[in-house]
Amino acid sequence: MDKHYDVVVVGAGNGGLAAAAVTSQAGFKVLLLEKHNIPGGSASSFKRGRFEFEPSLHELCAVGKPDQLFDTGKLFKRFGAEVDFRYEDNTFRAICTAEDGYDVRMRAGEDNFCDDLEAIVPGCRESLKAWFELERGDQRTLDYIDSKNGKPNPLMMILKHGNFMRDTSYTVEEVQKALGMPEKARNILNTYWGYLGVPTDELNSFHYMTMVASYVRDGAVMPYKRSHEMSLALEKAITDNGGDVWYNSEVVKFLYNEDGSCAGVQLKSGEKIYAKEIISNVIPNNVYAMSDIKYVPEKELRLANSRTLGLSFVTVYLGMDCSKEELGVEDYTTFISKYANPRECYNHRNEGAYYVVNCHNVAIPDASPEGTCMLFYTIPMMEEDFPKDLKPEEYKKWKNSVAKRFIEDSEKVLGIDITSHIEEIEVATPVTFARYLGTPAGEIYGYQMAGWDSILPRIMAAPTDFTVKNLSYCGGHAERGDGYSCAYMTGMLTGDAVVRRLKGGK
Amino acid sequence: MKKVDISSLNPAKFIKLVPSRDQIIASNPANPIPHQDTYAANKIAKALHPDKQFVKIAKVEAFSPDVKRYTFVPDTDKGTTALAYFSAGQYLSVSLTVGKAVLTRPYSISSGPADALDGFYQLTIKRVNGGLATNYILDNWKEGDSVEVSAPLGTFKYEPLRDAKTVVGLAGGSGITPFLSFARAIAKGEEDMHLTLLYGSRTRDDILFKDEFDQIAQSCDKIKVVYVLSADSAENCESGFLTADLIKKYAPEGEPYSVFMCGPQAMYDFADGEIAKLGLRSKFVRHELFGEYHNPERNADYTAPASETCTITVRVRDEKTSVTASVNDTILVSLEKNGIAVPAHCRSGECGWCHSKLVSGDVYVPASVDGRRLADFDYGYIHPCCTFPLGDVEIVVPAK
Repeated sequence: MDKHYDVVVVGAGNGGLAAAAVTSQAGFKVLLLEKHNIPGGSASSFKRGRFEFEPSLHELCAVGKPDQLFDTGKLFKRFGAEVDFRYEDNTFRAICTAEDGYDVRMRAGEDNFCDDLEAIVPGCRESLKAWFELERGDQRTLDYIDSKNGKPNPLMMILKHGNFMRDTSYTVEEVQKALGMPEKARNILNTYWGYLGVPTDELNSFHYMTMVASYVRDGAVMPYKRSHEMSLALEKAITDNGGDVWYNSEVVKFLYNEDGSCAGVQLKSGEKIYAKEIISNVIPNNVYAMSDIKYVPEKELRLANSRTLGLSFVTVYLGMDCSKEELGVEDYTTFISKYANPRECYNHRNEGAYYVVNCHNVAIPDASPEGTCMLFYTIPMMEEDFPKDLKPEEYKKWKNSVAKRFIEDSEKVLGIDITSHIEEIEVATPVTFARYLGTPAGEIYGYQMAGWDSILPRIMAAPTDFTVKNLSYCGGHAERGDGYSCAYMTGMLTGDAVVRRLKGGK
Repeated sequence: MKKVDISSLNPAKFIKLVPSRDQIIASNPANPIPHQDTYAANKIAKALHPDKQFVKIAKVEAFSPDVKRYTFVPDTDKGTTALAYFSAGQYLSVSLTVGKAVLTRPYSISSGPADALDGFYQLTIKRVNGGLATNYILDNWKEGDSVEVSAPLGTFKYEPLRDAKTVVGLAGGSGITPFLSFARAIAKGEEDMHLTLLYGSRTRDDILFKDEFDQIAQSCDKIKVVYVLSADSAENCESGFLTADLIKKYAPEGEPYSVFMCGPQAMYDFADGEIAKLGLRSKFVRHELFGEYHNPERNADYTAPASETCTITVRVRDEKTSVTASVNDTILVSLEKNGIAVPAHCRSGECGWCHSKLVSGDVYVPASVDGRRLADFDYGYIHPCCTFPLGDVEIVVPAK
């Protein structure tokens, strides 16, 4: 028998969880469908031997402290989802092995960060301070736009919020250069580019600033029991609200009414589920593949064809049979690059020019048994980088060869012995993400946040980009781009919009 | 002094953000989007990890009335055209219907990985006294039968970045099956490792695959097989058990080696004690899955409930059912006996495929097989395959 809900959410990734939490909290009958047997998408955990690994999260931003919560922290509080967050003291260590390279450690806190960078690049302080000040100004503009319900007075924008208009229109490096920031300071400050997947000569300034300021000023956090803890906390919020969550329930078809509005979804089992509103945490490309093409608006196809799939990764998870002290790792996050400039790193990514090594136990000392620690490597990989002719039977050898290369490189760069301490190893690649997330080419970052397709135009164009009635999107592929906090936020905002519509508002 | 600000940048650019974006979108074609399965990474994911595989029994070889080897080929009538490649040591989870019971069983693949590319898998199955599945299989499966199996699964495999170059394999009884796959993979150059296999059997007649092992060992100098008989003595065989001394005798000298073991629980208990004497680092010791857990009452931390039976209320999607169960069976087994299909693969607490929510009631999970994630404990999640009810319970199970 066909089933009817107020809201069906497809996909229990971060965006889908937040969307289901919002709509169920508002009292609507909600069903969250997930093809895997646990929630979270990338936000989960897995066990090997005595280790429970964090699969994807590096640092969660915009949480804040209990007495001063920021967006992500407020979101968890709003849903009554309690998570044991642990705070970090340092933002990162960045090692650049180029001739003009460096090895720097940056402390968290705006003043610390400025002091540290000034010590490395004397004379950069003023431009760095101005950069953080710009970011604060941007937040004031956002508050103003919010206060006008998203319809700011254009004249006020030009007179009072010109810097916001500049920040959202120019690249990271254009803004930094306008501030007169020295090149070396720019390169160090732009170390985080990989978290957004676009080098900083193309990445939007506002987008990057918001993220960096959040890490530096508000401090970054990690959930004590891996991301699985956050996903289960949100799942509980949904079921406590009376929402249903079905696992092993893959959607294979989107159903439409004659007038082109979305009617519901069909499961692999054949069961059809109808709803007043359908929220997809699944990337539009996949939704189109599951839809009768006549119901997909032409503009959406053009948009999808104009976009490049976002980053995927090779990630290496190591359970080490020695402590972090015995290993000689002091930093939670170490960025290793072969070039100082992000564009060079991006262009040479297939030669191993940029990767991240995390040691979970620095943030959470007892994350693994005493006398052990965990390492987590993140190596960016685009769709075009994946070997096209690789055969399934060659896959294991290929992924191990990639892992070996980066493990050995990090041993050289850090001057430590890693190989002989590996007690557990797992290597994930775009194949792994294609398997578990079902995304095209195993992408994790949705669509690349290209210069022309940056955050503000995405947000402003959203109402005209996606026009199928009763169908909305959330997640890393949505307006705000990749990252846990962005995915949560789009889920919440999409959920809020759906609630307004269901209540008869506009 | 120059003012540090961004006034040199033109704010009016903002007004053009959306129009110039729209222009780019309009200049692109409205062609259908490439399907996800056209990407190389998705193709490999699908080839290595199909949701399920339908196979047909092509051959049955009876080594004895209690041990048979089954050769499976793709059941093209049901849509399986190729078999997924695997790593030596992995298993298939076989789906069975026995009377009204629906169940799964994990069996190590005894054929080599390359054989899958040639279109066949082999499983060698030994009768377990009173075993529901093995009795059914040995007495019923015949050539031409169609069987549903999972993709190859399991983490009992050789990892060159983790394991020593030489693996000393300890096999007990039917625990020999994955090692035949390892030997084949080494002989074909699919795995770059050495294998010294200490294969424990009761008598000479109980040895499985002797001809095959001897043949492979003769043609490949990376493989050595030592037969160890516990209740017999024979030429070229060791007598006794898989002791520390025996391991030392055959392990490479002066270089590290890994120990991989597969066999019954009693063998693990004994071998773990022997390995402790060798002082191996834990990274060099690997166990294949422990298998289904029985007799929780033998554990000191188990308190037997007053009643031998209980009611399990189970919700799958929006359907709720109640079944009567024995407290001596795992929740998974009780559901299966009552014809409720539950997702399950390893049945040993490890893989988490049966991950289910305990809504109410008390349960017992033996610590040695408790493979749950940390947060599962806070949110009432259990693995029904190794969880015993201590009274009436209600659970939510994902659909199979």
